[in-house]
Amino acid sequence: MPEAVLISYVKKKSFFHKLNPLTKLVLAVCAITLSFLLKNFMYNLILFFFIIPFAYEAKLLRQVFKPLRYLFIIFVFLFGIQSFFYPFRETVLVQLPFGFAIWLEGLLYAVDISARLLVIMVYGYLFVLTTHPGDLVSELKERGMPHWLGYVLITTLQLIPRVTSQTEVIIEAQRSRGLETQGSVIKRLKAYTPLLGPLFMGSVQNAVERAMALEARAFRAECDKTRYRDVKFTKQDKLITASSIILSIIYGVVSWLL
Amino acid sequence: MAIVKFKDFSWTYQGYKKPTLRNINLSVKEGEFLGVIGRVGSGRSTFCMTMLGLIPHFFPGRIKGELVVDGLSVEESSIAELSTRVGLIFQSPDTQLTGAGTTVEEELAFGLENLGVPQKEMNKRVKKMVKLIGLESFRNRSPFELSGGQQQKVAIASVLIMQPRILVLDEPTAQLDPLGTSQVFDLIKKLAKKGITIILNTQKINYLAEFADRVAILNKNKLVKVDKARKILTDVKLLRRNGIIPSVYTQLSEQLIKEGLYKGSLCLTLGDAKKMIKKVVKK
Repeated sequence: MPEAVLISYVKKKSFFHKLNPLTKLVLAVCAITLSFLLKNFMYNLILFFFIIPFAYEAKLLRQVFKPLRYLFIIFVFLFGIQSFFYPFRETVLVQLPFGFAIWLEGLLYAVDISARLLVIMVYGYLFVLTTHPGDLVSELKERGMPHWLGYVLITTLQLIPRVTSQTEVIIEAQRSRGLETQGSVIKRLKAYTPLLGPLFMGSVQNAVERAMALEARAFRAECDKTRYRDVKFTKQDKLITASSIILSIIYGVVSWLL
Repeated sequence: MAIVKFKDFSWTYQGYKKPTLRNINLSVKEGEFLGVIGRVGSGRSTFCMTMLGLIPHFFPGRIKGELVVDGLSVEESSIAELSTRVGLIFQSPDTQLTGAGTTVEEELAFGLENLGVPQKEMNKRVKKMVKLIGLESFRNRSPFELSGGQQQKVAIASVLIMQPRILVLDEPTAQLDPLGTSQVFDLIKKLAKKGITIILNTQKINYLAEFADRVAILNKNKLVKVDKARKILTDVKLLRRNGIIPSVYTQLSEQLIKEGLYKGSLCLTLGDAKKMIKKVVKK
């Protein structure tokens, strides 16, 4: 279950993995912000393909593009709806019967959004793939995030799989007492309501016990906290952070000047 | 010198009329191993929670009398202060892992992070603890992937790492399988040898018989009796009156005495039973 525990971090030995989580975050945020500011989709597509050297360095070239298949369904709807019903339509591209038409503006708009989604997806995903949540939280805490918030973030990631498995246990238990979980949608919804009670009560009970465990570890001690995970912000991090910001600005400006 | 001292201590949870602990008078010496036994609902878990200050600081209620732990009055100290003196272990191996660490090592270090211990010192102590509980090959695994017994050992180590002088264990093996149980008791035995004061609430009389110095019986929210372990655990009448089943070895010797096959005192441990059986067989 280690994969589920840490959502989707993939451990690899690469320069990109070793970068400070904040550096990678800055890179992702730069790319995502850019995707909204660039003049047209051509620039976004270039930005999209610019992930390749990073992903290759991180040895995750194939994984980074994997979630794109989920985008496919969104694209179908996006193109379907926008090319027919875009509000600022002017130019007819293809005239269809019954007064329907495919509009050029709508089509371009859909292309625009799709290119943006592609950029957001790959840069966001590369960040998630290469950054250990523990490192990210440790670094954020070091930069002033409250201690308790750091705990909340990291535990949430860890406890989601716990709640899932707890739900499964309850479902099995109810099923063995004759609960029907198959059939029509309404039947299924009905079947799942009795799960909520035990699941909710169980979670509250667990929360109380966990709170006691936290107390036993001096969680509320009033002193400067230290950290076990060592995350360094090196010269390379400085260089990459600075150049991502500067290059983003240049690229954004160039897209509007050309 | 007494490291834990209850003086006429009573505790009533908010919303309850009757006290859950009534007039407890008890002192525990440094380095002592005290077993706590009693039937379900006798107030044993509450008793364990007092020493870390969960009572009265975490649960609301009324306190009477006094409790001093390692020189600190529990009522006047914070839980954080007490947590460097008292380590408390609960039943459930799963929920007492805080989830703050993505690996065993980080889970162990969490208490030290909270106390602001420098990183170098942290590394040193974590290494020592991992070795102590024998989980070297698991140190970079998620604690949630471990077996119940291993999780419980991690929980014990994550409290021990804060170097408390007193370790309070509230039924640490109640949810474990036999293998996990024996793993945890092996660790407790190791710790007892190191001279940490241990207060262990358990139903596992067989294990308790082997290493407790003294045993306290709680019943109906009162401390019924405290005495040498052997004296209490072989007092069959006293045990039964308080709803506790004696150790299997004691039961065996009782049966043999009743049937006239054996003349001697009641057995308590495996060692006793061996001697007894040798005698019976010789006859």
